This record gives sequence, C-alpha cells and structure tokens, in this order.
Amino acid sequence: MKQRILNMIWQPETFLIVLIGILLTAMGRLDASFLQWEVQRALSSHVWELAIIAIPMTLIILTAGIDLSVGSVMGLSAITTGMLFQKGLPLPLACSASLLVGIFCGFLNGWFITRMKVHPLIITLATMAAYRGMAEGISHAKPVSGFPDSFTWLGQGDWFGLPVAAWVFAVMVGIVLWMMHGRAFGVGIYAIGHNETATRFSGLRVDRYLVTLYTFSGFASALAAVLFVARRNTAKADAGMGMELGVITAVVIGGVSIFGGRGTLIGACLGVLLIHETREFVSWHWNRDELNLLALGILLILSVVFQKLLRHKQGSAI
Amino acid sequence: MEPLRAVHLSKSYGGTHALKDVSLDIRPGEVHALCGENGAGKSTLIKILSGVLLPNAGTVQWNETPLPLGRVHSVEAHGILAVHQEPVVFPHLNAVDNLFVGREPAALGGAWLDQSTMRKKARAILANLGEELPLTQPVGDMSLAQRQMVSIARALLHQCRILILDEPTASLSARESESLFEKVNTLKQQGVGILYVSHRLEEIFRLADRVTVLRDGTWVATSDIASLNQEALIQHMVGRDITQKPGSGTAPDESKNRPPILEIKNLSREGVFQKISFKIQPGEILGMSGLVGAGRSEIARGIFGIDPFDAGEIIYLGSPLSKGFTIQDTIQAGMAMVPEDRQQQGLVLPLSVETNLLLPSLREFQGPLGLKTKAMRSSGKALIEKLGIKTETPDHPAHSLSGGNQQKIVIGKWVHRLPKLFILDEPTRGVDVGAKHEVHRLIRELAAQGSAVLLISSELPEILSLSHRILVLCEGTIRGELKANEATQEQLLKLALPEEARRSA
Amino acid sequence: MTDATSTHTTPPLKRALIYLLSHRAAGLFLFIVLLLGIVSVMNPAFLETQNIKDIAVQAAPVCIISCGLMLVLVSGEIDISVGSMMGLLAACMGAMVSESRGHLPPGMAIVLTLGIGVVIGLLNGWLVAYAGVPSIIVTLGMLTALRGVTEIVMGGSWITDLPDGIRFLGTGAFMGIPISLWTALTVILVSLWLVHRTAIGRRIYAIGSNPHAAYLAGLPIKPLKLFVFAWTGFLTGVATLVSVPQLSVVDSGIGVGLELLVVTCVVVGGTAVSGGLGNLSGVLCGVILMTMISTVLIFMKLGENATYWSRAIQGLFILGAIIADHWISRQRKS
Repeated sequence: MKQRILNMIWQPETFLIVLIGILLTAMGRLDASFLQWEVQRALSSHVWELAIIAIPMTLIILTAGIDLSVGSVMGLSAITTGMLFQKGLPLPLACSASLLVGIFCGFLNGWFITRMKVHPLIITLATMAAYRGMAEGISHAKPVSGFPDSFTWLGQGDWFGLPVAAWVFAVMVGIVLWMMHGRAFGVGIYAIGHNETATRFSGLRVDRYLVTLYTFSGFASALAAVLFVARRNTAKADAGMGMELGVITAVVIGGVSIFGGRGTLIGACLGVLLIHETREFVSWHWNRDELNLLALGILLILSVVFQKLLRHKQGSAI
Repeated sequence: MEPLRAVHLSKSYGGTHALKDVSLDIRPGEVHALCGENGAGKSTLIKILSGVLLPNAGTVQWNETPLPLGRVHSVEAHGILAVHQEPVVFPHLNAVDNLFVGREPAALGGAWLDQSTMRKKARAILANLGEELPLTQPVGDMSLAQRQMVSIARALLHQCRILILDEPTASLSARESESLFEKVNTLKQQGVGILYVSHRLEEIFRLADRVTVLRDGTWVATSDIASLNQEALIQHMVGRDITQKPGSGTAPDESKNRPPILEIKNLSREGVFQKISFKIQPGEILGMSGLVGAGRSEIARGIFGIDPFDAGEIIYLGSPLSKGFTIQDTIQAGMAMVPEDRQQQGLVLPLSVETNLLLPSLREFQGPLGLKTKAMRSSGKALIEKLGIKTETPDHPAHSLSGGNQQKIVIGKWVHRLPKLFILDEPTRGVDVGAKHEVHRLIRELAAQGSAVLLISSELPEILSLSHRILVLCEGTIRGELKANEATQEQLLKLALPEEARRSA
Repeated sequence: MTDATSTHTTPPLKRALIYLLSHRAAGLFLFIVLLLGIVSVMNPAFLETQNIKDIAVQAAPVCIISCGLMLVLVSGEIDISVGSMMGLLAACMGAMVSESRGHLPPGMAIVLTLGIGVVIGLLNGWLVAYAGVPSIIVTLGMLTALRGVTEIVMGGSWITDLPDGIRFLGTGAFMGIPISLWTALTVILVSLWLVHRTAIGRRIYAIGSNPHAAYLAGLPIKPLKLFVFAWTGFLTGVATLVSVPQLSVVDSGIGVGLELLVVTCVVVGGTAVSGGLGNLSGVLCGVILMTMISTVLIFMKLGENATYWSRAIQGLFILGAIIADHWISRQRKS
C-alpha cells in the first residue's frame, strides 16, 4: 500500500501539478495582475492551437514516432482557407477543403512512414519543408485577410463563457481519453511504442494505427490552422512556423517519453499548461520574446535529460 | 606459462547480482567450457574478461599481475580476445576495415592508415582460417557464416593467447560448425587457452578438457570433462535431477482420415524456397529440420503472412487463403506463431504479463465504456495457471521473468484464442534445461487437444522426440520425409547437408 | 507480393537506373549534366563565367557544412541546428569586429568565432553522447535556443560596419578564385583524408553501421560522437567566416532554413539516415545540384515566382532520395 502511494507521487503528473503551482504562485508575487481571470482568459487564446495539436502528438510520441510537419501543415491549411476564400468560395467550403488538405498531408506522412520504413523524423522533416514550401509557392508568401465576423468568431468569440477553441479542445480530449482507456486502441499504442515488431506479430494492425495517428495529426493541425486564421483574421504561409517545437516540448515536459511507450495524455495537457503560462508570463512581465525562444529550446532539452534521470529511478509504468 | 586467473569477480546491476564471487582459471592449450542456464552469469563473466565491463569486485590475473579491466583495448593488448555471440561486424564496411577498426596499425597515431599492410595481413589471417572471402565487399552482403568467420578472424588478428568463444555455433550450420571445431583444435595445439561457452552439451563433451558450471551468478563446480556425464552436468546446471524422457512424442497418429488443417501446394519464393508441399493433420506435430539458412523460418513466415511469396497455394481448413493475405487474416482464421526471436518479436517486454498474454485477443475485452478489466484479470490468471508461468502477480512486467517463463507467455498468448494451427520456430532456443521440459510438455498438450503443430528446430533430439513426422529441408527444397519413430540423427543430418558436401563427406 | 524479376530478366534500362541510384555520385552527376544541358539550350547566359562563379560561391558554405553533417549522419545522428548556429556565429563575429561594438582585431575575431562554433558543437555532442538525449531533440532545441541568443547578441539592431579585414574573407580572391572556394576545397581534401585515411574516420562509419558491435569492440563511441558534432560546429564557423562577410549587413535572420538545405544535400547525396553509409563525392554532387537549382529555375524563365517554390523543391528532393533508397533495397532483395 505504501509502495502504491509512493508510486502515485512519483508520477510525472504529480510533479507537474506541484511545479505549475509553484510557478503560478511565484508569478502572482511578481505581478498579481497576471493571474486575473480576465487576463488569463484573454491570454489563453494563444494556446488552444498548440493544445489541439498536442493531442495527436502525444499519441504519436507514445508510439516512439514524431511529427515535425505539424507547423507546415498548419501553414498549408491556412493558405488553402485563405486562397479559396479569396477565389470566392463560401467559407464553410473553404474550411472543409483546408481540413481535407490537412487530413491528406497527415495521411501522406503516415503512408510514407509505413511504406518506406524510414524513421518518422526524416519523413516529417522532408514533408515539413515540402508542405511549407507549397504554402509559400501557392501564395507567393502573400497574406489574405478580410474575413467576415461570422468566421472570426471561431477564433475570437466565446461560447458559454469560454473561447470556442477551448470547447473544440475539450471535446477532442474527451474522445481521445475514451479511446485510450476504453478501447484496445490505448493498449495497442503503448505496445507499439515499446516493441513494434512483437505487436505486429501479435496481430495488431500496426500500420493502420500509425496511418490513423498521423492522419489525425494532420487533421488536428488543419483544425488549428482554421482557428488560427479566424483568430488573426489573416491567412499566411508562415502560419504555425515553429509550432512543432512548442508542441513537442509541451508533450515531452508532460512526461511523455520521447523513446515511446511511457506517458499519458493528461500529463501532456499539463505540459501544455506549463509551457503556456511560462511563455505568456515572460512576454507579459518582461516583454522579451527572444527569452521565450531561448527558454523553450533549453526546456525541451532539459526535460528529456530529466526523463532519462527519472527512468533510472522508476520501474516500468503501466 | 601461467594460466589466466579470474579471482573473486562480482558484478551487480542496481540491486541484482549478475555475478557473485566467481573464480576460474584458463590454462594455455586447454579448452575450458563454461556452462550454465540463461541468466547464470556467463555473458557477464565473458564481458568482464574481455574488458567490456568493469567488475564491482575481484581481479583478473596473469603471471601474478592484475590485468587492466574495463577497457577492451588494454585487455586485447594482453592477447585475450573474445568472439561474442552476436557477430561483431559492421555491415557497411568491408572485411579489411572490419578486422582492423578499433585497432588500426598506428602510423602517425592513426592519422595515416597503412591500407596495403592492412589488406595483406587480413588476407593472411583469412587464409590461415581456410576462408576465402572477398575483401572489398561490404560485410553486410555476406552470409551469416562468413560474417561469423570475419568476427573470428578479427579475434585472431592479435597475437592471441586466450580466446573466448561465446556460443560460436549458434548461427552456423552443421558443416560450418565442423570446420570451426577443427580450428579450435588447431589453436589449442598452438598453446592458446580457449574459454568455450555453449548450450549444446554434445559440443562441450566433444571439445572441452575441463568445464566450469555457473548457477544464478555463482560458481558451482569446475571439473575434468572425463569425470562427468551429461546427467551430472545438467544436474550441476539446474541444481536438481532431470532425466530425459525418451521419445514419448512418437505416439502413433490416429487422425489419418480427418481432413488436414493445413495443406501447402508448391509454395515458392525466388531464391529462398521452391515447390514446398506438405499437409498437417489435426493433433499432429510436424517437425521441420534442416540447417540454418535452409529456408525453414522463411516458409513459416510465408504461411503466417509476414513475408510474401511468389507462387503456390496455402489451403487452410479446406479453403485457400486469398492472395496477399496478412498476419491479421491468418490470426483471425486461427493460426498462431511463436517466432524465433522471443524478446524482439514475441513479447512487449516492459508491458505486464497479463497484457502480453491478452494482446492478440484485446478486442474481445472491449466494452462500450471501457475495457472489461475484471474479465481480463480472470482470463489472465487462468492462462498463467494453465501454462505454469512463474510470476508473483499478472502485473509484473514480462522482462522480470526468466527466459523459460517468457517463452511460456509467447506460447500462452495464443492459447486463449484456441488456435487450430501452431507454428513454433525454435521454441526452446536459449531456454534453460528445466523450462525446456515444460515447453515440450506444453507442445504435446496442444497437439493432444487437437491443434496441428508445425515445429521448427535445429536441435535434433528435440525434433526427434516431439514430432510425429519430420520434413528435412535443404537449400529451400524438401529433401525427404521421415517417420519420427524410424528416424535417427544421422539420417536427418545426411539429408540436411547440401549435395556437394555430401559427396565430399 | 514482390515481382519475380530476377537479374537476367531485368531490362537494361532498369538496371542502369538501379546502378545510377545506388552509385549516387554518378547518378547525380549525370542529372546535373543533363540539367546544365537543358538550361544552357534554353538560356545560354547560364554558362557565363560570372554566373557559374556566383553559383560556386553560393555553394561553398553549404559544401563546407555538408562535409561535417555527412559525418554526423554516418555516425547515426542528426544535427538540424547548423542554420541557427550560423546565425549566432554571424552575430557574434559581427559584434566582435564592428567598430561601434567590440572593435576586436579581425584575427582574434576569427579565432573566437571558430571557438564558439566548436563550443556549441561540443555542447550538442555532449548532450547527445553523454547525457543520452536523442540528437533530433538536442538540435531541435538548439535550433530555437540559439535564435534566442542571437536576438540577445544583436540587441534588436543590425550591424553594418564590418571592417575591411573581415570583408576580405568574403569578397577577396586568390589567383582569381574567391577565398570561399579555396576554403571549400581545403575542407573537402581534409574530409577525404579524415574519412579514408584516418582511424577516426573508419571508426565513425563503424559506430553508425552497428552501434552494438562497436560497443563490444571497445570503440570510443562517446568521444567519437562528441567529435563529429564539434567538427560540424567548427565547419559551421568556417562557413560563417567565408560567407557572412559577403553581405554588407549582419542581421538576426542569417542562416534561417540553412539546416534543411544542408540535410537535403547530404541525404540526396546518398548518405543513409540510419548511419554507416555515405561518401563525399555523392554529397558534393548533392550540394552542387541543390544550390544550382534555384538559379536554374530563374534562367528557365519560370519567373520570379519560381523562387517561392525552392523550399518545396528541397522537401521533394529529400522525399525523392528516400523513395529511391527504398526502391533500390527492394530491387536488391528480389
């Protein structure tokens, strides 16, 4: 029993909650206005796109994969929305088209990864360049703006007291949590992360899992792109530039092992919260974005170093 | 000359002792066998002796001076060389680079490699081993046996005084093993002391002068081979008495008239196997014998849907499998396979025993709101009991179990699905003697319950004692079919040898 | 199902294709010659000395860094921080020599710039080899973190007053050939020696080819990995010194996207992402192809807009190389 309680405490999630608590207290001391509900709600609008992409990224990293192309898919999807809108297509159609583009990009990633048997990091590094390049090529790097209010409401408006994007995020987390804990799907993802071959030889459709996950990642990136365009009221090829770094950092800080097989979605969400609050506070209090770049890079590396250290301490999870 | 003495060596990882106070000596000109079950500490001892690992306590002495441990280079400089179980080769490099990498002739401190000397020396050593290998070809394109030779040649590059061979015949065919034995004898006559590790007791009795037995990381006994017999040696290794049951699997087959579970017609794959045809009846154990590389595993993988094949037909339960079928199709239809490499292909080691056992049948336990954990627990417990898996709780990770118990999980994970055909590829490789008997019992039980079993094994006694019929493969074709109760080891071996080897034999 | 074509029935065209794809240098060379032929027919101005020289000068820094990155890939790792590293080194160099800031003598600035490159490389290598963090994570983190440092060094303004001593490295020439080309040539020769004639070179291939065997053979894996990253850091410093002084302004955006170009060149040049395989001639051809391609697009009169597609082309080339590798390995098997 004592062992069990100790195990509970040793979970990365517990750590994160304590860490976030400490950080928020410190931030409150430095600048009490930062913690006001209205301020927090307004600042939260920056995070939902990252949070939405973090959901599939968590699952992908759990399978010992990675998707570096998420930011570029955002760019391509944003440009699709913008260009089609400019061409006079009704916005719902333009948005659907951009979601389809995202799904297709993600599917292509998954297809290459399962067919070519090359590590996802190389495939998605290539498509990261290809998708972003296409966004630049199609749009000639020119922005599109002037979207109607009914559309920008998606990114700027509230629904039952919370931003629309927050609801989208909540629904997605709900569905994925149910998939993870209520279906064979969840166990399958962990099994793939630990040993893909043995999982394959046990009859699980590993390729289908992977293609599904990368397609989901493409879909989520496109969804984030639509919300981003609506929030900024501009569609530009550089939408989501550097997004992959923030998402991966958040997920890894959330205790998801970059080597696959360990971690939880809840942990990843806490990681997103931690990254978000730190980032916003640095901008809010010191107003220096370059410090954020520095901090994000260092945090990513340190969190993996920390994971390695923690791994020695812990037995195996689940 | 003085023998090499390992004195009071200990090594522990975290809290577990891999090696506890082990002492041993290797005399020049002797073959000293090292025996023990898996996990007895053999590979740890070898890694310490060859300088890969640093012991927590103890020394290795030679001529009264302690050797510098923990550095491969300095140990090699003293003439102590190891050929590890997995051939130490670099597939992208050619044979010359493979021999010299890490110990290049140091002109200008390694700043200018003397390629022509390297080539000359490599050619001489390979010639001495009686091997003709292409020197410029990447080693990755060579056969497994050739790679093993490269790895042995690498050890002989230095003036070798103590040679450590760890399971050198694991990936060699019978013929290649023979030539290896000759080389071991030649080296022995040259005064080289050899530490020989093998699971195959026949080899030990054939080659060794003395034998040391380890059990659970501790020293058990060292004695002259002449004063031991197989039973006594096994008893030392497992610490209890096990008598081999003679051929109890050769019970007459009563299921002749029933339709076959599996029928293979003219199965071919370019350059791998050709025109393979056979049938398996319910309740029958069909042995598949042959040398490594004869195409046995490849046929099994083809039937199970892992690898593709070019031509032929697989008729399962009376209906042909459609072209391009996958693992999922065959599992759905009731096939099960225990792959060759237990840890890499059979198990998800960090996951629990229960999850591993239920992995192929997970979908059954899906409820509308969540996985039915209670049903999973009871099924898991039932399987653990049925198979006699020794684990404290079903929640323990699979990697905490011994090799034999791990293998029981790999077999057991299919039992829940009541498969009609079992394909077992080397089911007892690397499993210790005690667990081997239990795995054998399990295989017989499966057949007795009406499943058909396709058994692939390189161990002739195993295949003879378990199978009802035996197919012998050579170079991708079926050379012959024998009734197990009439077959002998010599017959099997003769059929398994390729044409030219047979003529010259 | 694999197709059952054996070697005797393979049509000659297919066999030639397999040869050219697996001997990547030969294949790329042929492709470059073909491309040159087409573009010079469409627009003879392409072959003018000045244009060739421009392309060569563009290619020089890419070539220098590629020689280092190839070894990183051969050892089984990856480094995507070289672009940001160049940005930071440019900022540091600028700040050191600028008359309004550091005002250090050029010689000292050169040594310090190279030194900083080596230190960052060592940091990358230490995190990968000794702290056990996957190289993609380390260098992805560095990609961002170094940009942050660059902004801090630049302090929000540009550096426009580079002294002539430094500018000579970028604009000067020796025997009519720009300094940067001489430097690239030297780096290629040193790399050839390193790869083929030193113990270190062969060992780097060995650890990438089979890490476990390298461990059992007692190869110094960690120091070797440390070395390849430090070497890449050093070469990035060299590339910075010969390319940045060509510009009249140092801003914080130097080297953005460079990592991708370099990875593309190295991978298109036939270096295996999984380690153990790669040769300099292939990489060199990869560099030439990838740097000339944007100029080719302009000379083919596809218009200004063609340059917007350059990043897409890079990505497609990496994908193409991966597909080619996959196709060849399948052909080899059957």
